[in-house]
Amino acid sequence: MSSTIVAMMIGVSTFLGALGLWALLWGLRSGQFDDQKKFLEGAKFDGEDELNDAINLEKRKRKIKKKKEQKRYAPPD
Amino acid sequence: MAKVVCDHCKLEFDEKVMIKDDTDGETRYFCCKGCQGIYHLLRSEGLDDFYDKIGNNKLEPPKDIHDDLHKFDLDGFKKKYITQKDGFYEINLIIEGIHCSACVWLNEKVLHQTEGIVEATINYTNNKAKIIWDPESIKLSQIIQKIRSIGYNGYPYDPKIQEEQANKARRDYYSRLLVAIFATMNIMWIAIAQYTGYFTGMRSDMKNILNIAEFVLATPTLFYTGWIYFKGAYFGIKNRFVNMDLLVATGASLAYIYSIYAMITKTGEVYFDSVTMIITFVFVGKYLEVLSKKSAIDSMDSVLGTIPTEVLVVKDNEKVLIPIEEIKPNDIIEIKPGDKIIIDGIIVSGEGNFDLSSLTGESVPVYKKEGDDIISGSISLESVIRYKATKEYANSMLSTIVTMLEESISKKPHIEKLADKISGYFSLIILSFSILTFLFWYFYLGSGFERALIVSISVIVIACPCALGLATPMATLIGIGEATKKGILFKEAGFLEKMAKSDILVLDKTGTITEGKPKVVKYEMIENFDINLLYSLVKSSKHPVSKAISDYLESKNDNLKELNLHDRKNIEARGVSAYCKTQKLIGGNGELMIENGMDIEQNYDNTIFIFAIDNHIKAIFELKDTPKEGAKKALQEIRKRGIKTIMLTGDNEKVAKKIAKEVGIDEVYHSLFPKEKAEVIEKLHKKGKIVIMAGDGINDVLALGLSDIAVSMGSGAEVSVEVSDVVLLNDDIGALSDAIKISKRVYLNIKENLLLSAVYNTITIPLAMSGYVIPLIAALSMSLSSLLVVGNSYRIKRGIK
Repeated sequence: MSSTIVAMMIGVSTFLGALGLWALLWGLRSGQFDDQKKFLEGAKFDGEDELNDAINLEKRKRKIKKKKEQKRYAPPD
Repeated sequence: MAKVVCDHCKLEFDEKVMIKDDTDGETRYFCCKGCQGIYHLLRSEGLDDFYDKIGNNKLEPPKDIHDDLHKFDLDGFKKKYITQKDGFYEINLIIEGIHCSACVWLNEKVLHQTEGIVEATINYTNNKAKIIWDPESIKLSQIIQKIRSIGYNGYPYDPKIQEEQANKARRDYYSRLLVAIFATMNIMWIAIAQYTGYFTGMRSDMKNILNIAEFVLATPTLFYTGWIYFKGAYFGIKNRFVNMDLLVATGASLAYIYSIYAMITKTGEVYFDSVTMIITFVFVGKYLEVLSKKSAIDSMDSVLGTIPTEVLVVKDNEKVLIPIEEIKPNDIIEIKPGDKIIIDGIIVSGEGNFDLSSLTGESVPVYKKEGDDIISGSISLESVIRYKATKEYANSMLSTIVTMLEESISKKPHIEKLADKISGYFSLIILSFSILTFLFWYFYLGSGFERALIVSISVIVIACPCALGLATPMATLIGIGEATKKGILFKEAGFLEKMAKSDILVLDKTGTITEGKPKVVKYEMIENFDINLLYSLVKSSKHPVSKAISDYLESKNDNLKELNLHDRKNIEARGVSAYCKTQKLIGGNGELMIENGMDIEQNYDNTIFIFAIDNHIKAIFELKDTPKEGAKKALQEIRKRGIKTIMLTGDNEKVAKKIAKEVGIDEVYHSLFPKEKAEVIEKLHKKGKIVIMAGDGINDVLALGLSDIAVSMGSGAEVSVEVSDVVLLNDDIGALSDAIKISKRVYLNIKENLLLSAVYNTITIPLAMSGYVIPLIAALSMSLSSLLVVGNSYRIKRGIK
């Protein structure tokens, strides 16, 4: 086996593994594993509605932020 | 009468008392206006699939909450609880009334749909909520209003220091651990190729690739996960103290630097695998330490959270809510049934029973009338009472206990330092050995720099903490695991060791040795009567004696019915009376019977309950607080292990001695106040004894805090669970004997492990110093020694069975 192939195999597999690790760390940092019960039971109540709610929340947050920024840059009257 | 289930809270009530609701052509029943209101609100908001989600869970009907919403928008409140982050407000609330995960879902859903709220998450386990909102579109009072409108209540708590810090540290350690484990697992399979290549030969370009791959994996482990050790070593040096961290850091980084040198020059072997393994193994132990501290803080918050922030004060015939901190002595405070008393005082009007169980541990309510003292922490059971404050909140009993608890949590461990000290000396010796070895080989034997460096690294690697470092954590880890299976919770690993060394066990009587509530031990029927009359009478009272009788009747009879009673009266500290149709029912103690003109002998040892109809005695019950099942056997086993048993109780001498004799206790102290209990422990300390204290009430908290090992019953007062080091989850005193057994076994195992690692080190270190061991073999044998220790620790499992 040529050494380039070995190098590539190790490189790709380590990279993929690292990707998984990064995802796990991201989940941990954003607090997704903080509540074990929610992790298990929350799934029961998950669905399209909840996803929509989450999106709406994000949208609302962005809108309010934007509004605030506009206010900040508004010329003094 | 048919029982009907309330359509909101799912509790059962008689059809008669229910509110019938015919909206939408369907008939529904509600137990109260509150439930009805919430039901329709949820329907109109399209949230009625909440009822599908709760399954078989029952809810609490909503309580009427007086109008105190304005306080949420006050400036002082804002300063205390709200934090601001780029224009948004953030608050932490504890949500009251959550029974199941559907409740969490409902709360989150409603909050999410509220305009102005940008984030709301509720923890399923401890019901803590974090809410972020835009202060320009909604006020906090409106948010609380929203939560209340669906039948829950939220009150703020201050999460600042403790919880946040613990959470952050835990999360940080966990991610470091994950990185280390990931790198170790991957480096292992590369190392297998390396080892095979070492023995069978490998092309040098192949070897180089593997070297680089290992380098890539070892680097984050050393600098990210191992950062903790560098920091520890730095602080150690700064304070002129050599610690284990320094040894780990130098061993790992020397091996790392040399490996880089070997990789670049393509000479010799690399030791990246040793680097990651050293770091990872030792880090696991560190992580477990951080983990154990977190849960203690969680329940503390809920204790503090239940203390109301305001009390009802009567001023100039007007009732006003005043924050507890502003109450001054001589203010008149009014409390309603079920209220917890926050400030000490003297009753000025009203009388009634008080539940002092959280303070004294005694389950029998105490009757107090005008002029009597009431202590904060007690709960008024049935009457509205006005009392005059005699102290400020800060000096009241409850707040004193709370401060005491906070202090006891912040200061605790002492014994662990010894192990650190020993390993500190050990590290210092190993470091100097390796330096001497280097000097000896380089100058005296005149071998090259590389050879001398490899030999000295071998010394560090082979002695590296693994065996010694693992000796204690491995054994305790398995011990804790075994204990948990038996329902024993050790809050910190070090407590196993301390428990094993103890020589006195101090026990509280009520709730620890005994059940903590009276039980019928003798039943004498004097004349025949309708048992349902008695049942209805005792059912109508909440007094523990009545409860014991109704439990007893329920266990003996199947078809009990509650009859309609009228003119029910509680006769203070005596009993109850009521009428059923024309029959006059009386139930209570001997004095009550004599007052009603009956003749009764009064020489019973135990509490008695007499039942009479129309002044004719029908039945006599004798009640006693009985020892728990298995208490005698457990105490016997404990004494066999050479531990002396002492019983402390607030009860009188007669009762105390009787119980002590029954279960077999060496020494008894009776009629003690909480403070005196603590003094007993202090006295034992002065004699140089190591004391285990087992208790369950707030009255034991002081003694628990002073003892070397505090054991509490899982069902005990939350504060006593808080200060304790060991919790017996199933309230079983037999578990206490198991706990001692496990701790002794673990302690023995730790000693074995330390001996093993000492033997290992005395053999291998000289070998390494004389240059017979190359680092690769050193790392292998180091892992082998760890395996030995791990294997030996697993023997604990067999030893306990």
